[in-house]
Amino acid sequence: MENQYAIEMLNITKRFPGIIANDNITLQLKKGEIHALLGENGAGKSTLMSVLFGLYQPEEGVIKKDGKVVQINDPNDANRLGIGMVHQHFKLVECFSVLDNIILGVEPNKMGFLQKDEARKKVMELSERYGLHVDPDAIIEDITVGMQQRTEILKMLYRENEILIFDEPTAVLTPQEIEELMQIMKGLAKEGKSILFISHKLNEIMEVADRCSVLRKGKYIGTVEIANTTKEELSRMMVGRDVDFVVHKDPAKPTDVVLDVQHITVASKAHSNNAVKDVSFQVRRGEIVCIAGIDGNGQTELVYGISGLEPLKSGKILMDGEDITKLPIRKRSVDGMSHIPEDRHKHGLVLDYTLENNLVLQRYFEPEFTNAMGFLRKDNIRKYAERLIEEYDVRSGQGPITPARAMSGGNQQKAIIAREIDKNPKLLIAVQPTRGLDVGAIEFIHKQIVAHRDAGNGVLLVSLELDEVMALSDRILVMYEGEIVGELDPKQTTVEEMGLYMAGAKRQ
Amino acid sequence: MKEKRSLLRNDGFQTFAASVLCIVLGLIVGYLALLIINADGAGKAIMSVIKNFFNKPTSAARLKYFGQTLAKTAPLLLCSLSVLFAYKVGLFNIGAAGQYCLGVALALYLGICKQWPWYLCLICGICAGSISGAVCGILRAYCNVNVVISGIMLNWISLYGTNMLLKPAMDPAGKDTFRLVSKAKQALLPTLGMEKLFNDKYVTIAIPIAILMAIVVWIVLDKTKLGYELKATGNNLNAAKYCGMKENRNIILTMVIAGGLAAMGGALYYLSDFTQWNVNSSSVPGMGFNGIAAAFLGGLNPIGSIFSSFFITHITDGGGYVDLSHYCAQIADFISAVIIYLCGFVLFFKTFLNSRLNKAEERKIEKARALAAAETNKGGKA
Amino acid sequence: MLLLIQYTLIFASVLLLVALGGCVSEHSGVINLGLEGIMVMGSLGGALVMRFLPYTATMGGRFGMFFAVLCAAIIFGVVYSCLLAVACINLKADQTIVGTALNMLGTALATVAVKSMNTALNPDDHSSEIKYINAKKAFLTNIGKFELNWFMIVAVILLVVVFVLLYKTKFGLRLRACGEHPQAAASVGINVFKMRWAGVLISGLLGGVGGITYITAGVSTWKFENGVAGFGFLALAVMIFGAWDPFRIAGAALLFGLFRALGNVYNAFDFLKAMNIPSGVYNMLPYIVCLIVLAFTSKKSRAPKAEGIPYDKGMR
Repeated sequence: MENQYAIEMLNITKRFPGIIANDNITLQLKKGEIHALLGENGAGKSTLMSVLFGLYQPEEGVIKKDGKVVQINDPNDANRLGIGMVHQHFKLVECFSVLDNIILGVEPNKMGFLQKDEARKKVMELSERYGLHVDPDAIIEDITVGMQQRTEILKMLYRENEILIFDEPTAVLTPQEIEELMQIMKGLAKEGKSILFISHKLNEIMEVADRCSVLRKGKYIGTVEIANTTKEELSRMMVGRDVDFVVHKDPAKPTDVVLDVQHITVASKAHSNNAVKDVSFQVRRGEIVCIAGIDGNGQTELVYGISGLEPLKSGKILMDGEDITKLPIRKRSVDGMSHIPEDRHKHGLVLDYTLENNLVLQRYFEPEFTNAMGFLRKDNIRKYAERLIEEYDVRSGQGPITPARAMSGGNQQKAIIAREIDKNPKLLIAVQPTRGLDVGAIEFIHKQIVAHRDAGNGVLLVSLELDEVMALSDRILVMYEGEIVGELDPKQTTVEEMGLYMAGAKRQ
Repeated sequence: MKEKRSLLRNDGFQTFAASVLCIVLGLIVGYLALLIINADGAGKAIMSVIKNFFNKPTSAARLKYFGQTLAKTAPLLLCSLSVLFAYKVGLFNIGAAGQYCLGVALALYLGICKQWPWYLCLICGICAGSISGAVCGILRAYCNVNVVISGIMLNWISLYGTNMLLKPAMDPAGKDTFRLVSKAKQALLPTLGMEKLFNDKYVTIAIPIAILMAIVVWIVLDKTKLGYELKATGNNLNAAKYCGMKENRNIILTMVIAGGLAAMGGALYYLSDFTQWNVNSSSVPGMGFNGIAAAFLGGLNPIGSIFSSFFITHITDGGGYVDLSHYCAQIADFISAVIIYLCGFVLFFKTFLNSRLNKAEERKIEKARALAAAETNKGGKA
Repeated sequence: MLLLIQYTLIFASVLLLVALGGCVSEHSGVINLGLEGIMVMGSLGGALVMRFLPYTATMGGRFGMFFAVLCAAIIFGVVYSCLLAVACINLKADQTIVGTALNMLGTALATVAVKSMNTALNPDDHSSEIKYINAKKAFLTNIGKFELNWFMIVAVILLVVVFVLLYKTKFGLRLRACGEHPQAAASVGINVFKMRWAGVLISGLLGGVGGITYITAGVSTWKFENGVAGFGFLALAVMIFGAWDPFRIAGAALLFGLFRALGNVYNAFDFLKAMNIPSGVYNMLPYIVCLIVLAFTSKKSRAPKAEGIPYDKGMR
């Protein structure tokens, strides 16, 4: 009897100091199917994939390819077995051409000299056959994210991989690009490739997958046929309880304008165009205004412009009627602006500092923490830190003296949120405040943000997660290619409509 | 939750252990080199390097040479503080050597040619080093020039500049500058009676000043708002900018202070008249580079620097006592270079030690858990 | 004038060789601040051969001497660069400290070695000098008044070789991938450690050849206490100015070589002599030019992205 499975991971257990990342997990991928792997952040998906690629050796369990047990010691072994992966963060060399990236590692050569013509021909053929349009000579950093992803797919096809793994492939795509990707995946499955699709987005799984395996907190929950299940059931399997996606909040009662952005333009660091083009909007006290959009459409630069991290090319910013366009960052902060940054490691924390020192990062210079001689008042810093840790439930190994580096992502984020909200700012700018956090932490952070609004302050939220946008915002502004292309009311609009704006297919 | 942590876990202890390990390995490598050169006298030679002033026969002479070692420690300590201070702010001040030269240049020029008193010479010397540091800092902050490369370039510029400036102060009898004793007594550093204590006129206030600076650097880095800002800038430039610190100002200020410290070392050393500047010198003085060694060997701690500076001076001086018919004094430089090389592994050593400790601890916990499980099982059965 | 060209070319060759070394190493992702020390070791290797290998002025003798010197410089440079590779690649040590340590160690080691050798041969000789007046003639050819140093040709050949290696071969593609995005390289089965080792060893080779070229430029004795006067760092500046591109590096090397040569031969130019600028200024000139050039070019320079960051398998 012919084996129907392309790859099987049977009873895999992988332990790390302190935690069991994979606890007796079984995953069987049939030939020619699209198999979804569903789980929250930290459910053990990436560990399982690292085991499959030989980056970790499991303590227990075996991997079978076509029914035979195989030993995978490093990514090369996985490659030889025909397993390829499109990583969530693309593994592309940015200053290389598309072609160079595709052939890297399996370069056609004569005595070590590259033979690119051959490779080019093969790439063009593959690109025709699967409808993956790329320009082989374009440099990666100049092309769109969608095209970069197609390059990654071509990389796998060029290696004649049979088992294709897509790790959260839709996070950075527009709804239209997602649709295109779904078609490509279906086409690949039809050609006999076996696809493992890692995601936590239920809609996409329902649309494209044949079967779905669910992980939760390192444990295997089960495998279901998509045809016989519902979104609700999958969601229950994923989080272990009925989640309610709705954040409880009263209707907004907006009052005075706290932030008035007038025709601002911000240059881009990545390319010669402006990242933010002539953008104007207002935020009032008592409302949450959300900037929605696909990653890389100018949201980051917009926030840099408002917070003062980047200078404006033109335009004006008023806070509470006062012109703050030229004010330094410190002055803006003292005047009542708080900023929960997008990248907590890049901007939000000094990782080598202790938790307590990070908690006073925005106010260490106040008389409470520095005396007239310029000496730090460490006892006050300790007291303050202990209060915030208590109030915001920031957990860490050694309390105030834990190095920030040693804390979990969720608790790092909680520390930043505690620091920024406790300043009691009249304007809170929160960029992707819940990225990479588990459900509990997300709920907590959402509550804090709503409470801050209800206390009569303005909130500007930037988020890529449509669910979060829909749940939290009182008004939605959609950004596309550096411009605000629409203002929507979350009660009147749908995710689909928002998608059209985000993709530039519709504008007001 | 507070646990009692073992001594091995203590960061300070780990740093200390790593430094001692570096020293021991460095000496072993030095000994091996001596063995290769000439096996017969190697043991005696390495002992004379380690003994330094203890090689002297009488206790009075030992005290005198101990004083001289201290006098040479002072400038090295200041150079190492300069390197350390910049390193804490994420900058590698390899330019300490050049800043040191400039300190010497201004101090001697003003002392000998202008007959200024010692304190003005000292202050102007410090300023010269600070300005050179500022150039490095400005280039780093506004032009993104790597401080290592600009530091090296400034080292050579400073060296030739110093030679040019000190030409008029040259004693025609040789290639060196005049002795201060003969031409510029007003520029000599006061000794506060330590001269008598050690019976050596080179033991001056430079030594207490240097130690005082180490304490000041420690306080500034550890206890003040300035230190908080500077270290934050060094650890994460973006975060510093994000929370409104003036990150460029902080970089420049750091280099100004670091430059001043190194220059202070140079000025103090030459104003003690211990040595004279050779106006044809064609290599950058090693003091700045040894400062790097001392800073890292001291575990990047200002107080640690006091001891590591003394140790490095001690063995460098000790190099002078080897039997010159077979060996050369530079064996000591060789040993300190090996020690710095090994200092590069301190982080590796600590990670290694910690992971070993973690593993051991885990095994203990696992065992305890298994034991507890067995207990409950028994309990359940009973 | 001819003398100026000759000096310019020889100093440019040194800078080119060493800068190419830095360039290959940085493309693989390791900042090689120890080039200065590697040059010293390379020059020591070559000098020892010139000191001890008997020299005959026949064509065969000349080639023999030349290759022996070249090989010795290469071996010394490569072996010495292993110290950097072990520390920075396998043990993930701080690349700046290790580089600096290697520079100090290079000079100290060479001084100790040469001094003990001299003392062993003659108990009264405590100098750190090696003389090689005769042997050096092996690779000097006079074309008219122009003295061609064979190492100039070596530099040009190695320039082409490095270019082809980096941009036309499988090896070069992989090497550059390791310096830009080692995780990407590892994900397609490239052994990042091996490639980085290769990068560092090649830089050792080029640095070693650069070192021997340097001590045969214009002088015929070398005092090893002096090291190589910051040339390793000048070469790094040349590399940055040359934007990590071999041919641009060659251009930059010529420019810096010119300023360095001026210090040696400014006396031959009447108008320069008439200006009566102290010699110290000429000595400073290359370093000053370097600072100015860096100030204007560093802002937009694009270094290999992952350089200086130790590669860790666990990090993804």
